[in-house]
Amino acid sequence: MTSTATRPTAGPHVDHPVPAVDPADAPDVDVVVVGAGLSGLVAARDLQQRGFTVRVLEAADRVGGRVASATVGGAHVDLGGTFVGPEQERILALADEVGVRRYPTHEAGDNLLMWRGDLRRYRGLVPPVGPAAVLDLARIRAAFERLRRTVPVGRPWDAPNAAALDAQTLGSWLHARRAGPASHDLMAVVCKTSWGCEPSEVSLLHVLHYVAQAGGLDALLDTRDGAVEQHFVEGSHEVAARVADQLGAGVVRLGAPVLRVDWSSTGVAVHTDRGTTRARRVVVATPPALRRRIRFVPALPAPHRQMSQRWAPGILSKAYAVYERPFWRDAGLSGMTISDEGPVFITFDTSPADAARGVVLCFIGGDHARAWDGLDPAERRVRVLSALADHFGPQALEPVGYTDQRWGEEEWLGGGPTAAPGPGAVAELHARLTEPVGPVHWAGTETARRWAGHMDGAVSAGERAAREVAADLASPAPAPTPSKETRR
Amino acid sequence: MTWTRRHSQLTTATTAQVWDRWTDPTTWQVDDPGVAWAQFDPAVREGATGTVKNHGTPPQRITFTRVEHERAMDFAIRLPLATLTVTHDVEPDGERTRLTHGVTIDGPLHRVYAMLVGRKLARGLPAVVRTVAAGALQGAAR
Repeated sequence: MTSTATRPTAGPHVDHPVPAVDPADAPDVDVVVVGAGLSGLVAARDLQQRGFTVRVLEAADRVGGRVASATVGGAHVDLGGTFVGPEQERILALADEVGVRRYPTHEAGDNLLMWRGDLRRYRGLVPPVGPAAVLDLARIRAAFERLRRTVPVGRPWDAPNAAALDAQTLGSWLHARRAGPASHDLMAVVCKTSWGCEPSEVSLLHVLHYVAQAGGLDALLDTRDGAVEQHFVEGSHEVAARVADQLGAGVVRLGAPVLRVDWSSTGVAVHTDRGTTRARRVVVATPPALRRRIRFVPALPAPHRQMSQRWAPGILSKAYAVYERPFWRDAGLSGMTISDEGPVFITFDTSPADAARGVVLCFIGGDHARAWDGLDPAERRVRVLSALADHFGPQALEPVGYTDQRWGEEEWLGGGPTAAPGPGAVAELHARLTEPVGPVHWAGTETARRWAGHMDGAVSAGERAAREVAADLASPAPAPTPSKETRR
Repeated sequence: MTWTRRHSQLTTATTAQVWDRWTDPTTWQVDDPGVAWAQFDPAVREGATGTVKNHGTPPQRITFTRVEHERAMDFAIRLPLATLTVTHDVEPDGERTRLTHGVTIDGPLHRVYAMLVGRKLARGLPAVVRTVAAGALQGAAR
């Protein structure tokens, strides 16, 4: 170990010698958690409650990861994870425990559809895209739901024809099913919202499994009984902040990107540019793609390395326009819109429960986000407000507050809302998401068995990782010794 | 006898920046994924002609039918029993600029051409307007 630990490292993130540290030396703490998102914080808290000592190392200068909040124009807004649904028991339980309240997503009134240049009002879940298109959408949706029921939750690789499903993208499947333009475009809205990518980019097997984890498209998309039913009064970030507070002073270290993890059968040495922490185990609670920004010595097994390369995040940006009041409600509108024009392709009314401000949440995803993210702030704002004015009238051009969040520009996240693996990256590699490597364990929403990609998945994944580590540390047998392959 | 679709969007690009973008034939293939190339004299004037090659179709002769400096630029393509006009408008809107592109088909067969080509062109208008605005801003930064 000393030979690798003392020489200058050649990885992209460390260009100076790493001090010699033997993971077998006396540990500073029982467990290091890498990443102070919801998942890492929950893992740390659960381990602490089980009597273990923990240290959380976070690269960014704040906790929360993919949940963040801001106050804009006198209104609170969630810049990252926002909504929760009644089936998402783990995040609901955690929020209740730390005292963060919820309120229903506003849905009263007509929705708006900007479609092929025309603005149409509608109610319910089926946009008025024309009778033939609605029938085609029903056909495609039924075929999709039949197929997703064949995918076992937590084990997508065991689906019948898993490799064949994984060899397709959602887009190629829609093409093969001869989906009409309206069906394709509406599925693209789902795709952009859920994975921040276009249908042509994401593995069909991943899409089917993701929807299966949620229990179906309705559970994933609905404002009533679905995953967008409620949001938090104090904001989703407050949940993370309160969990971090519970950990106690000095446990969470911000601005400390982990550069390297030396590991052996007995423990780990986790290096940042501020120093080294020795521990018996490490929980890496970052998005999968960020795992490869850490140099593991010895290297992780090849499938783990491939997984982190091929499970890149999508790009989903958000913008908020805040008004004196939710003026669209006067016209009988719900504030929910769908558009085939972009850059904003879907909106929600996230005004506070007392409607003291009018707040519109705008999503910009996939190709729209790639173009929009590169614009200067003034042009981004103008484009969002212009799109809102197309739906709600010129009043939408004069907000009292505006902000946007480009997750693809975040150095320590690189995208969002979750991983969007392409074809061929799921059937063989999904199992590596959670498979420990010696003393190295994994968390993060992508590793969840249910509601992966959601805040609920982040919480349950953190809980699972804590249970796993606790059982591992209680076991008399040492963690497996690195294989010959991983020693290379 | 007329079928028309338009898409309008606000931008921080100025009318002069947009005008420069419109009248540069080398940018048409960048701003519109349907265009393979375009040739015309950048000093556009009403009655002037040029050539536009769309992917999958032969080169077509275009005639500029409305040219107002930093305000409007339309060109027309003659079709059997119809005329397809692509419209471009730009105007100040408060501190912003309103940029509008459109497609108009006139003539006895306007409904047929609307089905054959108009709808597809109209669906591409929002993306083209966004790209033109972004290109206009980039041009200013060069």
